[in-house]
Amino acid sequence: MRGWDLVVQPFGYDAAFVFMEEIMQRFFFNKRLIIVLVVLIISFVLVAFSITVRNNKATPPLVQQMGNDAAGMVDRVVAYPVNGLKGAMGSFSDLMNTYSENQRLKGQVDSLATEKVKDQTLKRENKKLKEQLKLNKTLTDYEKISASVLTRSPSAWQNQVVISKGSLSGVKKNAAVMSKKGLVGRITEVNKTNSKVELLSTTNDSANRFATQVMTKNNKVVNGLITGYNATSNYLVMGQITVKTGMEKGDKVITSGLGGNSPKGLYVGTVAKVEEDDYGLASKVYVKPAADFTDLDVVTVAKRVD
Amino acid sequence: MRISRMRYFFPLGLFIALFLDGALSQVFAGVMFTSTLAIESRLVLLWVVMAACFGKIDHILLWTTLAGLVFDLYYTGIIGAFVVILPLIVYLTKLMYRFFTPSFIVVLLIYLIDITVATVISYWINLLIGFTNVSMAGFIGLSLGSTLAYNLAVFVLLYFPLQRFFESFSR
Repeated sequence: MRGWDLVVQPFGYDAAFVFMEEIMQRFFFNKRLIIVLVVLIISFVLVAFSITVRNNKATPPLVQQMGNDAAGMVDRVVAYPVNGLKGAMGSFSDLMNTYSENQRLKGQVDSLATEKVKDQTLKRENKKLKEQLKLNKTLTDYEKISASVLTRSPSAWQNQVVISKGSLSGVKKNAAVMSKKGLVGRITEVNKTNSKVELLSTTNDSANRFATQVMTKNNKVVNGLITGYNATSNYLVMGQITVKTGMEKGDKVITSGLGGNSPKGLYVGTVAKVEEDDYGLASKVYVKPAADFTDLDVVTVAKRVD
Repeated sequence: MRISRMRYFFPLGLFIALFLDGALSQVFAGVMFTSTLAIESRLVLLWVVMAACFGKIDHILLWTTLAGLVFDLYYTGIIGAFVVILPLIVYLTKLMYRFFTPSFIVVLLIYLIDITVATVISYWINLLIGFTNVSMAGFIGLSLGSTLAYNLAVFVLLYFPLQRFFESFSR
């Protein structure tokens, strides 16, 4: 019996050991595979969840808001020196250009004063007329909330900036956002102390469209929607045109206030070209945006008052 | 046991790098995002890769996951992309680093592979959810090439300071 043990035992133990090792290896391989799969599934679920929240809800969940607010506070500290550097560089280049700019601006300043007075008179008259007509609110009324731009997503696919005002200052989702020169985008996510702005230069399929109108030279109005952005030419594409008559290059494009998100009369840009489709109907209007989407310091959120 | 100072420096640098990416993108948006190129600043990846190669850091996967989460929350609003990509990069870097003797060129090549992986995955996710409709060829020309070139330049500038930093504080 002992002899059998001596012969069998080592072989048996060895075989069992090899077998066990194989099982363990397979188990660990499986474990790794399972971890990879679980991570992938969690990741997909999170992506799906955040897209649903982004499209449907006015504000993200509280945890997400808190995370964003905390990140915003740290970001303000980190970004401060970088912005300071930009300020210094900006003032240097300003200094270099001052003389030629001054010459050019002098001519404009004189006419500006008369324009301003005219503007004030018209505003006052408009207000009085509205009172007489008992028109309290029109599409052109909006509240301004100014905010500074904190940061921009370091991503080629998200044309998004984070601004320094949130729901505490009254920012609402889908509100229009303007730079000094014109319309730049809309609010997509509102946190307590900061919010995200999706710029007009985004190619996102699900982006909310701005209702716009072209004011032609012969005082006609052509309504449409901003349906996209052409990155190679830097033109906004305006589709869903109602009538095709009389649009010319250089006509001003403003928001029409239809659709309920943006007020009327925010400046978008000028008509660059009108493209006709095969049947001779104007199908697309290319709009040269007034604002520069890559040079944003301070923006204004236009909040409708109705 | 003496507590390594790296314990504080690594997360601190990680988040500074994370927010610097956004600040640089904002300040230099005029040259980084034009019609012909889109440069994605990835200082945070540089920090993570250098730490994975030269530092001895506790809970590096945990910290990078957290940084990825902040990236997703704060910059894109789409949670689930960088929260996976950043730890994956750490794992990938350590996996590749084992086979080589450490040198400037080796880490540079590893870093280039990491940048490519991260950029391709983030492009792919954005393509899936309809945030972009750029074709693969368009993506390589528009984003990948310029991103690699920019990050390569940053790598060359910051390699030696970061190497010294991680080696001296990880002892």
